[in-house]
Amino acid sequence: MSNPDLKQIEQFLYREASLLDQPDLDQWMQLFTEDGSYWMPAMEGQSDPLNHISHIYEDRVMMEIRRRNFVHPRSASKEWPVRCSHLLGNIQLQNQTDSGDLVVTCNFHVIVWYREEQRVYAGTCEHHLLAEGDDYRIRHKRVDLINPEAAQRSMVIYL
Amino acid sequence: MTTLISKEEVASLVRPTRLHKRLYLDPDVFELEMERIWGQAWIFIGHESQVPNPGDFFTTNITHKIPVVMVRDKGDSVHVLHNRCGHKGAKLVESRQGNVRGAFRCPYHGWTFRHDGGLLKVPNESGYDSTGFDSSDPCYSMQSVAQVESYRGFVFATLSAEAPDLKTWLGGAIDCLDNLCDRAPEGEVEVAGGVLRYEHQCNWKFILENLNDTMHPMVVHQSVVQAAEDYIATLPESAVEQRSEAEIIPPFGSSYEKFEDSGITGFRYGHHYDGGKTSIHADYKVLPAYHDAMVKAYGEERTREIYAFNTHNTLYYPSLTIKSAVQNIRVVRPIAVDRFVVETWSFRLKGAPDEMLQRTLLYSRLINSSFGMVGPDDHEVYRRAQEGLESNASEWVEFHRQYGRDQVLEDRVIGGGTSDLDMRTQYKAWQEYMTGEVFQ
Repeated sequence: MSNPDLKQIEQFLYREASLLDQPDLDQWMQLFTEDGSYWMPAMEGQSDPLNHISHIYEDRVMMEIRRRNFVHPRSASKEWPVRCSHLLGNIQLQNQTDSGDLVVTCNFHVIVWYREEQRVYAGTCEHHLLAEGDDYRIRHKRVDLINPEAAQRSMVIYL
Repeated sequence: MTTLISKEEVASLVRPTRLHKRLYLDPDVFELEMERIWGQAWIFIGHESQVPNPGDFFTTNITHKIPVVMVRDKGDSVHVLHNRCGHKGAKLVESRQGNVRGAFRCPYHGWTFRHDGGLLKVPNESGYDSTGFDSSDPCYSMQSVAQVESYRGFVFATLSAEAPDLKTWLGGAIDCLDNLCDRAPEGEVEVAGGVLRYEHQCNWKFILENLNDTMHPMVVHQSVVQAAEDYIATLPESAVEQRSEAEIIPPFGSSYEKFEDSGITGFRYGHHYDGGKTSIHADYKVLPAYHDAMVKAYGEERTREIYAFNTHNTLYYPSLTIKSAVQNIRVVRPIAVDRFVVETWSFRLKGAPDEMLQRTLLYSRLINSSFGMVGPDDHEVYRRAQEGLESNASEWVEFHRQYGRDQVLEDRVIGGGTSDLDMRTQYKAWQEYMTGEVFQ
């Protein structure tokens, strides 16, 4: 793809974030390619999702299981409403992967309301985006928390 | 430490089939648990593979507060020392792990200590001449914890000089540690793939009670089991075959009958495991390359024997729970009466193909992550109990299941997989520790 439009990419990331804010996992999942994946490492600078533990590393199959679990009436941890507010900044187009996906990085702050508690998550995201006409799909989303090694509390939603 | 709770009062909080709610809510009971249970039992510190080289250290707390450091010395011995300078008490190392090349050096006044904790040097020492200060007095060194022992690389320490040796204390539950290590073609395991830390906002005992509470999985984890089973059923067989998730998640929905068959075995000092002949991990595929390596190392018969001892969770009361068949462990660290942290560590089976570690890590991530689909539902019900017990409707929590049906053998108690034998086992130990009678 020639001359990727940063404005367009930003709009795409904002749309993705707003689907998580609601949260609408059904629509959110559709943004991913069939071979898409979501990764939240458990270590700073982690290079490997298979030979090192992660908080989350899921493909479309696991995303679909999570989506079904999320709306299941018999999941005690999901009886609490969860609402998020994503703020993205410092969005930068980095380079392209070997397969031609655009690599886009950004900073995020997410405020999450869950179980009568307001929490803050912060870090950086890396998206690998496949250009499809005027739109994009996510081949890979990596979420690096600023405190991946810290003791984390229960969280039932993707960031 | 003086306590406001008398021995009789503590003893009365645990009855044969019920527990008083103060066990979960009372900060004074918690402080006493730290002193009497965590201050006397063998507490799991870490694995020797976490400190492979001289000077390597790993820090943790042995109770809710007392900081210790596991360190390997130049002679290859592993020590567990109080992480405290012999001068003004400052913690000598703060990071979770690292290496102190020559010696520990206090960041405050520069006192240095050998890897075995001995005082090496006090700066400008002449100031102590003729003051009565004796640098050879152990109180000025980094003191060792009262007893330190390791079994197949698993390092335990106790603050009690009266505790029996580690092997005696582990008793018959040692079979599960052996089985974990025997599952390695080389007979040894090593920590690999990092750690997950999960903060729990409830009393530390809830997770121990939950490990072999086989009446909960089909209820608490019904949603993830159904979500997984329903979706997997729509996938082509070829797509499912490759996925370990398809063998890891559904067994959590096993029937009461299946869990009953797995049995529970309890031991002295509160240890217990469920499974043995079978468990929810028993139907995992055996990777051909792994099987070949095992047969080469042990022969066909012994290999089958090792696989056949299939346990689910083993608790080494109160600090360590292991999954021999999965090769991961969870380490419990209390913080306050309503707060604790669980660390999940995964192990590489030495001599096994990489896929084995990858499956272990997949399991740890799916089941034990705070961002997972299993852990948060467990944690939610613990919190419901923590909050619900504030009610004054009753002062007691019951555990009658299969009471009176336990089979008492010489060194263990065995019973049905859905019994409360695990509760009886751990609370008998709780009472013995708390009344000070445990090692008498």
